[in-house]
Amino acid sequence: MANNKHWQSFGERKQTKGFQDANKNEFREELLPFEDVKGGFLNAPTPRRDFLKYLGFSTAAAAIAAGCETPVRRVMPYVNKPEDIIPGVANYYATTYVEDGEVISVLAKVRDGRPIKIEGNDLSPITKGGTSARAQASVVELYNTARLRFPTIDTKEVTYEAIDKAILSELAGPVAILTSSVTSPTTLEIINSFIAKFPGSRHVTYDAYSYQGILEANSTTYGKRVIPSYKFENAKIIVGIGADFLGTWVSPVEFSYQYSKNRKIDEKNPVMSKHYQFESILTPTGASADERILHAPSETGKVVAALLSAVNGQSASGISDKKLLDGINKVAKDLIANKGQALVVSGSNDVNVQILVNALNEAIGSYGKTIDWSSVYNTRQGNDADFAQLVNDMNAGSVKSLLVFGANPAYTWYDSKKFIDGLKKVPTTISFADKNDETAQICKYVLPNHHYLESWGDAEPKTGYFSLLQPTINPLFKTRQWQDSLLKWSGNATTYEDYLINYWTAKIGGGVTGWEKALQSGVINPAAEVAAVAVPFNGAAVQTALSKILSASSNIELVLYQKIAIGEGQGASNPFLQEMPDPISRATWDNYIMISPALAKEMLGIDLTNEGQTDNYEVNVMKEVLKLTAPNGQSIELPYLIIPGTHAKTVGIAVGYGRTDKIGKAAIGSGQNAYPLATFVNNALQFTQGGIKLEKTGKTYKVAQTQVHGTYSSVIGGKREEVIKELSLPAFVKDPKQILEGREEELKDFGGIDHFVKQGTIYPYYDKPGVHWGMSIDMNACNGCGACVVACNIENNVPIVGKDEVARFHDMHWLRIDRYYSGDLENPNVTFMPMLCQHCDNAPCENVCPVNATQHSQEGLNQMIYNRCIGTRYCANNCPYKVRRFNWADYTGADSFPNNQDQVAVGKLDASVHDMNEELSRMVLNPDVTVRSRGVMEKCSFCAQRLQDGKLKAKKESRPLKSGENDEWDVKVACQQACPSDCITFGNSNDTKSAVSASRHDNPLRLFHSLEQLHTLPNVNYLAKVRNTDIEVEEVYNAG
Amino acid sequence: MSSLKYESQLREPLVKGSKDYHQITEDIVQPIEIKPGKLWYIGFYIAVTLLLFGVWSIYNDVVYGIGQWNLNKTVGWGWDITNFVWWVGIGHAGTLISAILLLFRQGWRTGVNRAAEAMTIFAVMCAGQFPIWHMGRVWNAFFVLPYPNTRGSLWPNFDSPLLWDVFAISTYFTVSVLFWYTGLLPDFATIRDRAKTKLRKLLYGIASFGWTGSTKHWQRHEALSLVLAGLSTPLVLSVHTIVSFDFATSVIPGWHTTIFPPYFVAGAVFSGFAMVNSLLIIVRKMMNLQDYVTIGHIEAMNKVIVLTGSIVGIAYLSELFVAWYSDNRYEGYEFFYNRANLYSSLGWSYWGMIACNVLSPQIFWFRKMRRNLFVTFFMSIIVNIGMWFERFVIIVASIYRDYIPSAWSVYYHPTVWEIGFYCGTFGLFFTCFFLFSKYFPVIAIAEIKSIAKVSGDNFKWSDKTTEIEQLEPEAFAHEYAH
Repeated sequence: MANNKHWQSFGERKQTKGFQDANKNEFREELLPFEDVKGGFLNAPTPRRDFLKYLGFSTAAAAIAAGCETPVRRVMPYVNKPEDIIPGVANYYATTYVEDGEVISVLAKVRDGRPIKIEGNDLSPITKGGTSARAQASVVELYNTARLRFPTIDTKEVTYEAIDKAILSELAGPVAILTSSVTSPTTLEIINSFIAKFPGSRHVTYDAYSYQGILEANSTTYGKRVIPSYKFENAKIIVGIGADFLGTWVSPVEFSYQYSKNRKIDEKNPVMSKHYQFESILTPTGASADERILHAPSETGKVVAALLSAVNGQSASGISDKKLLDGINKVAKDLIANKGQALVVSGSNDVNVQILVNALNEAIGSYGKTIDWSSVYNTRQGNDADFAQLVNDMNAGSVKSLLVFGANPAYTWYDSKKFIDGLKKVPTTISFADKNDETAQICKYVLPNHHYLESWGDAEPKTGYFSLLQPTINPLFKTRQWQDSLLKWSGNATTYEDYLINYWTAKIGGGVTGWEKALQSGVINPAAEVAAVAVPFNGAAVQTALSKILSASSNIELVLYQKIAIGEGQGASNPFLQEMPDPISRATWDNYIMISPALAKEMLGIDLTNEGQTDNYEVNVMKEVLKLTAPNGQSIELPYLIIPGTHAKTVGIAVGYGRTDKIGKAAIGSGQNAYPLATFVNNALQFTQGGIKLEKTGKTYKVAQTQVHGTYSSVIGGKREEVIKELSLPAFVKDPKQILEGREEELKDFGGIDHFVKQGTIYPYYDKPGVHWGMSIDMNACNGCGACVVACNIENNVPIVGKDEVARFHDMHWLRIDRYYSGDLENPNVTFMPMLCQHCDNAPCENVCPVNATQHSQEGLNQMIYNRCIGTRYCANNCPYKVRRFNWADYTGADSFPNNQDQVAVGKLDASVHDMNEELSRMVLNPDVTVRSRGVMEKCSFCAQRLQDGKLKAKKESRPLKSGENDEWDVKVACQQACPSDCITFGNSNDTKSAVSASRHDNPLRLFHSLEQLHTLPNVNYLAKVRNTDIEVEEVYNAG
Repeated sequence: MSSLKYESQLREPLVKGSKDYHQITEDIVQPIEIKPGKLWYIGFYIAVTLLLFGVWSIYNDVVYGIGQWNLNKTVGWGWDITNFVWWVGIGHAGTLISAILLLFRQGWRTGVNRAAEAMTIFAVMCAGQFPIWHMGRVWNAFFVLPYPNTRGSLWPNFDSPLLWDVFAISTYFTVSVLFWYTGLLPDFATIRDRAKTKLRKLLYGIASFGWTGSTKHWQRHEALSLVLAGLSTPLVLSVHTIVSFDFATSVIPGWHTTIFPPYFVAGAVFSGFAMVNSLLIIVRKMMNLQDYVTIGHIEAMNKVIVLTGSIVGIAYLSELFVAWYSDNRYEGYEFFYNRANLYSSLGWSYWGMIACNVLSPQIFWFRKMRRNLFVTFFMSIIVNIGMWFERFVIIVASIYRDYIPSAWSVYYHPTVWEIGFYCGTFGLFFTCFFLFSKYFPVIAIAEIKSIAKVSGDNFKWSDKTTEIEQLEPEAFAHEYAH
């Protein structure tokens, strides 16, 4: 029965020819009328009807061809749906951001095959889900148009077969492999086996911003040339001596988290760590410190020696500056009182200073408590002495082959000419740089490495803590992982991928499942948290070190520092990092000479206490250029910025600038290279030196700052306590309700805090049921690192506007970190305030829009409807927080006007803006967020796309949305996710269990809304900054 | 209306030279009928050049975006809205003269009302350019119009002062144009009747809407004029009141103040009269109309200037007083640091404003100065510069430093395109004005005839006494009695 075939006609039963033909033609589509014409279309006799058909067809075709010439946009559907890809749904892959010594475990958000965003990996015990600005921006580097796209021999494109053949025939020992710090255990194995193939070879590790001093000191006093783990969370007293540990020193993301733990205070029992910072220039770490003590860079040794003797019960000696001496005595007293709960870190690269620091830490019992030798950093291994030796050997001709990965001494080495000369004497030079950096430019063979998001790999930032890399996208270009090259050249046929998988499968156990599980979580951690251990201290070197500390210089001194965004120069090719304002100077796209107000007054005649002169200095984006000359004759010409908090006789310059467009359009015209101003003393690079000469040049240079006004208060405006609130810990303990009472006083005419919402307005009050989004920002934990700013930029497709536009105050950042100074002009207190759209429930921007383009949602969001916006800018004017951003030009290429980016007379767009509009660069755009066109207003949306996603997730599971209840999150906004110190809490403020409600409920005494008295009713609240200092600063206003 | 006029024996005549009605017609219409002079051509070409520069500036702004101006994240409005308010202010005098002075039976207004109304209309046209072209997406400007649409219907935001502006300005413009045109009807008919070419006859014929001069026409004309005057009167007050709401209803210190409506209206009248003065001093000279626009007119307007200038001065003082008395630290900062402090970045504009608007007009307390053409002309320019400063001070000096110090931007100075746009509106204004003076009767012929005989016999025909005495009664009646 099952095989019965029911025929419909006799024809079908018999399968006659007529039936078959009819069947065949049954559904035939007559596409074109002339298909059946025999003997050629042109010769066919045309019947009248056909003629009409032809006429109709050709007219229509001509009309279509002539009138509808649309540009070709390549939109191609998948033929077969790839596994794991659901269009419109993001996948997250655990991988690791590795750049030179920096290792951060991350998740890559991949949409439709493209990585578009980096998130922190919560499973990492080191970063705890935190990221840095550079990690956030790294995804943009994947699509950088300056990436090398194929291997070259003498800049000519070749195939990998050809280049392998050429190299293998040429490669001869002794080989030197020059790398930045390599944290990957498999890579180190591969390097070692490669070296074994070529006798006399060596692996030289070189870090541009050297840690030679601390490494050598540890080697001398502990016999280990490594940096131990620090545990800032265990320290009640933290003393930083020129170490920017929240910004750039060793492991800032990790330290930020540790540090923030004791900075967030429990209001019922307000205690917090006390952070003293000795430094010469104002760093973000110094800005976060409770008390900052200034000293000249050359005094560092003396300061440490004095501290050591004070801690040992002797009197601090050798310090003439009264303020400094008092500071040292105060710090020493606190250190003695908190033995075992204190920590001293120093950023000095002088081995003697670091030996004294070790002795100091021994004296206060830090080891085993706040310093842990059970696990040490692999991220900083560079050895300046080895590298200097290599340069000498290269010049002597005793290096036959040089392989360079990561390191870029042609740019970063203080005597780059010598390195370049040496390199030219090496017969075989191979670079694995992914961009045509200064060293790759002079290497014969260039085999570009994958971007880390295309790579396999592993990393061990601290012993015992591993983090894995997996590719998140097929390689975009003809690049190859350098480990593959090494394996190939050392005669190993396995690929690096297999090598890695074999290595880890063997190591982890559990076969493929074990490996895949590890890969999925991205991190492999020690089974149990290892207790902190100490190792025996060899104090023999301390006396020698004491005798060797340098004497102070009386001239102007120079400090070379790294900026958070640019670092050693890795960030220079990244427009998002270039455009991220420096936390202190708020300058973008350039380096400059930071000078103190005292020096500015003395040398340049600008008196910052004179408001008229301050105005003049601030108004003009063209800053005067100074010529700085070092004792060895090296000089640099840079504009200056007056930075309060700089030591009177010290100037600071950031390294990492002055690169060329070969590494990316973003680097064009950004600053000058300051590395040649470093010196090489006792086999260690020194980033400070005295005897500096400063001269005026009469030239000016444009510096683009996003915030020009530093002083928070003014002569007549008084102290604006409604914007930010800060107080000292003793004051808070003494009178914990002062902020609350201050607010009550401010609002008392409108019913006080409790009734302000209803009584502050003549309009009726409406309930706000359901979800109501809110954010709580703890200003105590923010150190201005800028990770949130970059995360926000990339999540929300915030355009790059370039230096010239930033200089015109056209920066587009939705989230900015305001920096305010208070108190002493020469050494002010600094407060950071992340400022974003406050999503006011009674928003001044909303009612002034003539076309309803900005509206309040039921959930408390202040929404922008880009389609509706006609660009009157009234909303931006009427925003008291000035967080609205207008698209002054077509920064994104989203506008429909052709040729509207080629303006010349006014507002010429920088190359970096055009570069971000390339098809390749645009791949990083978040498809969930509209790319705004010219002429519309935009601003923080509270990551509306993420909120929608989170709500859907909860809805699909038929449960209420979770935002922080038991640390379960359906939604985290980009800035919150990125923050290494967890200072941003976000969620449903109508849900009493949400983290944001808890934050508000637990901190009633510090809670405030910025400009609360305006009755804007912001959905963002701040927790006041508490500074653990007994120095009360009285604001002194001098009338100009 | 003329029936209500009281003939004073002592008053100076409003029209000098003992014109008869025919002479008046001749004097006013003749310039329309002959080729304009060299001066007119030079002026016209300069105006058109400026206009084209403005068009080019706007072209740049539309194609490349508002970034062609130096506005920024803190200063969202600069020259654009300053110029807008400035032009709207200037556009106040015309309606004030024609409507309010008409209701107050101020006969002298007839000599100047036509030109003043024309100035009003052109100034409002210029003003309107700024809110339109300052939009980021001007091609969507129609979103502000409340009309049923396919988007929902999606209405504009009736809470927004900018929307009120749209209504206020468009209403004002419409009523002003209607009022002006109503007055023009009998005069166009006069030109038509005198026309010697077919084209002129045709065009003025169309323009005069078939005016025959019948009593019925006159009756309706008078009635309509009165109705429109009644409509315009509240508009004179409302337009600048609503423009001031753009600022007064905001939260920005220096904007958020209740004094703005009267202060803005006084300022508008102040600048409007100054502009009328500058224009009429040129026109009466250029078109030989000294007999119609007399020193008496100039003096009357100077009186208004010194009055409104002083009102504005009191407003400035009140602002300072309130800023001090309220003890509001933001206002204190705004007024005493940003504005009144000569050493602050924009302090110069505040003191420029005080010098031009408050101090210098005091010169008009002296009759001799009020009647001095050179002084009047100079002062009229000074007053308009001062009023420009006032708007600049209010707009830019308030927002460049408001609540959040981190956002303070002292970086604002105009680009070439902002200046070009402003120049372009001058071009538009003068192009229109030159065309007006060539093709339209610059003095209301019908109206001025109504005041030709209001002054006393002491002055009447004083220079023609001998001639009249020799005339036969019939001849006298024939010459002088129509």
